[in-house]
Amino acid sequence: MNDEREHHDHHHGHDHAGHAHPPLQPDDTSPPNNYEVTILAIRDLLLDKGILSAEQVRRGLETLDSWEPSRGAEIVARAWVDPAFKKRLLADGNAAVADFAIDMGSAKLTVVENTETVHNVIVCTLCSCYPRPVLGLPPDWYRSKNYRARVVREPRQVLREFGTHIPDDVTVRVHDSLADLRYLVLPRRSAGTEGWSEERLAALVTRDCMVGVANPEKPRAA
Amino acid sequence: MEPDNTKFTSAREPGRGYHDLGGLDGGPIDPAVTQAKPWEKLSVVVGNALGQKGKRLICTDEVRRTREEMGAELYNRLGYFEKGIESLRRLLIEKGVIDAKELERRMGEVARRIEEDGR
Amino acid sequence: MSEAFAPGDTVRVSAVNPPGHRRTPFYIRGKQGVIERVCGEFANPEELGYGFDGLPKKRLYRVRFRQKDVWPDYKGDPNDTVDVDIYEHWLSPVAKPKSGRKI
Repeated sequence: MNDEREHHDHHHGHDHAGHAHPPLQPDDTSPPNNYEVTILAIRDLLLDKGILSAEQVRRGLETLDSWEPSRGAEIVARAWVDPAFKKRLLADGNAAVADFAIDMGSAKLTVVENTETVHNVIVCTLCSCYPRPVLGLPPDWYRSKNYRARVVREPRQVLREFGTHIPDDVTVRVHDSLADLRYLVLPRRSAGTEGWSEERLAALVTRDCMVGVANPEKPRAA
Repeated sequence: MEPDNTKFTSAREPGRGYHDLGGLDGGPIDPAVTQAKPWEKLSVVVGNALGQKGKRLICTDEVRRTREEMGAELYNRLGYFEKGIESLRRLLIEKGVIDAKELERRMGEVARRIEEDGR
Repeated sequence: MSEAFAPGDTVRVSAVNPPGHRRTPFYIRGKQGVIERVCGEFANPEELGYGFDGLPKKRLYRVRFRQKDVWPDYKGDPNDTVDVDIYEHWLSPVAKPKSGRKI
């Protein structure tokens, strides 16, 4: 901790405790939210007490930024082209995504497959559990009270609001992920994509497809 | 129109908790997606770091539990990350990791710093 | 620990509303469903929430419910389901009907 106080850089803002603070948002001159001030103060106290290190926080921010839907899309594309990978993914999600250097931590990644007769959709009605390492932070609507209240009870209506129509001969399964399992939907591969590279396929797979409120786009005519 | 959870309980009482929303009536779902601000991301990182193996000062279920106890008024008024920070604050004070007075002092310093030096 | 359930077993979720940190949602309490899979064993979140170690671990099950068994006014397809991960201590066995209902 003492090293930080000796080496703080005067080009960065610093408080009386001497922690070097990389500027968070220098262009944002709006008055701080009470909770913004709270979390900064908590961080400072934890750094002072040696409970966290600046390096830990820096690495944590970096890791969080690496968590985004494109990672999930890559996994889906691989499952579409490689049947052996798909089998492993459905059997043990954590082990399979380790191929992509993705660490799910203590959460158990559980992949549910959309088929001709089944469409899956994910929610956490009690809070907002979400497979963050493969999809990033959950979008506002996923965390919203209206989604959490309605999708378990009227999934087809909710999906329709997202522009997704599920035919009557397809079963809708809602997964309420309340325990240690984190769910990812493996959407159906769009028709007309035979021979496509994984990269091209991944571009069709949006976050909404992997939560189950949308299906992958069909390829446009060239 | 959001689910009417104000009549439900805190986790301290029997019954449906105000956070337990599955099946309640609700309105249209706003599809707009916003980017997390730097301080919101920081709240996620600090929470994760405190829960990591070897440290385990807090765990996910304790954070959830504090969300379920803060009362329907706060729960409904605060945003997602704000609730996370409120939970963290309550939990760290509850466990004696930080002191409420020292937090208040440090918050004053942080607010002054932002005013003088910017973010 | 109580006897384990197996996929295909019919179970009922306890119809209780205890105070405290629970991960069994209100809407599913008292409802009947079928074990879809055994998820494994995990520390009990109801204890973890208060700083205990949550041991011994509890068995977690994915239980599949027909939507029309959960919501009396469900308007979707009769085959639609809601799958919920539920801990063993919230589940009781239900004797199978003679006709042997499939998932």
